[in-house]
Amino acid sequence: MNKEKIVEVLIHNIREVLPEMDEYSFQSEDTLSDLGADSVDRAEIINLMLEELSLRIPRVELAGVSNLGELVEVLHGKLQSA
Amino acid sequence: MGNFNRPDILVSGVGVTASIGQGKNAYWSALMSGHSAFHFLQRPGRQKESRFIGSEISAISASDAISSKLFRKASLSGQVSLVTLHEAWVDAKLDLADPSRIGLIIGGSNVQQREMAQIFETYHERAEFVPPSYGLSFMDSDLCGLCTEQFGIQGLAYTVGGASASGQLAVIQATQAVLSGQVDICIALGAMMDLSYLELQALRALGAMGTDRYADHPELACRPFDQNRDGFIYGESCAALVIERAATVKCRQVKPYAAVTGCALKMDANRNPNPSLAGEVHIIQNVLQQAGLSATEVDYLNPHGSGSPIGDETELRAIRDCGLSHVKLNTTKSITGHGLTAAGAVEIVTTLLQMRESRLHPSKNLENPLDPGLNWVGDQSIPFGITNALSLSFGFGGMNTAICLQNI
Repeated sequence: MNKEKIVEVLIHNIREVLPEMDEYSFQSEDTLSDLGADSVDRAEIINLMLEELSLRIPRVELAGVSNLGELVEVLHGKLQSA
Repeated sequence: MGNFNRPDILVSGVGVTASIGQGKNAYWSALMSGHSAFHFLQRPGRQKESRFIGSEISAISASDAISSKLFRKASLSGQVSLVTLHEAWVDAKLDLADPSRIGLIIGGSNVQQREMAQIFETYHERAEFVPPSYGLSFMDSDLCGLCTEQFGIQGLAYTVGGASASGQLAVIQATQAVLSGQVDICIALGAMMDLSYLELQALRALGAMGTDRYADHPELACRPFDQNRDGFIYGESCAALVIERAATVKCRQVKPYAAVTGCALKMDANRNPNPSLAGEVHIIQNVLQQAGLSATEVDYLNPHGSGSPIGDETELRAIRDCGLSHVKLNTTKSITGHGLTAAGAVEIVTTLLQMRESRLHPSKNLENPLDPGLNWVGDQSIPFGITNALSLSFGFGGMNTAICLQNI
């Protein structure tokens, strides 16, 4: 899966958990917290990403990620090495 | 359970959601006309090589005052709790009360079984992707979390489990919390029990739930106290009541529904579902003693009346043995179905609405009453002024509860 597709899946999942983001134009510097996601929302979004990408990795491997761009990079890297 | 200073403990607000209607006005209209909503259960997770008769809540309408995010993330039982509590909250004008002195007691345990069964069906072979929010929602206390966040309740909140007596148990505990001074105002909520096909099948196999004898006419299946009953028929429901002392009710200029003049709880020391005449007689006598009433002063009784073959028979014997054969009786579950954990609270709200309106709802499918000598309301509602009412609930595991209410 290429990065563009991962971005597409990520935006879909953020909107699934946060419907109020329906019209929002996402930037790679955005953080989930800035977008209004609480700790449960963040866990749900990450879970949906891992499920859709069929990535079976410990959540702790995503601990250092600080924004959406980095999240896409890390997920893409994991997919490459999976 | 003493310490009642009659009529100091009042019910100042109510909310109700059932298959026959959301909100007390819609509920009341359906109740009076005897419009039930029995069919074969449709909700996902309730069918598997088997089908069951029951009644389900249709689409729930949530006020704009309820956080759309909280509502969206809540389980069905959670959503129903939020809208039902909101109605009671507004009814009792609780926005005018100090939230640090308000408590919430939710009656019911394991109330989200259907959603758990669905999680299992979807994720049992890929557990690593189970939704993280399940870590919150699998606990009944999630309902406390949802409701306290929505309404800012800070006094206390916890759940109490007592099988089919849970709703009434919550009212008893809320009354105790106010009597003891733990909080000034306490809301009791009988939570909607969300059954999956597994619980439905087990309850049927246990002989507690009715059969599909009336498969061609589901509306005839639920028939408490009728000779042809063969078990309870499930019905989704939820109710909330606001309990407080007269002094705080007066501060907010709320018109109370009634006084709670007695609460009784007695265990039979019996794990099984079978009832106990001695236990039932005990709580009736105990609650009358607390209320300072003789049996002749009670004019209406809302029975547990689940439609259980042995349960209904035992309850009528207890009513006769306690000298209550003169009271007016009707069968709420014949219209709503049996809400299990919610039933006790729903039936107290039903009693309060009847008290306020001076009218009793009909009993459906009571074609050949077990005891025709009792004072049953038939298939039409009737005008009737209630002064003192009793409401009874019984739960598996030998739990008997009774509440006495007085018109004020």
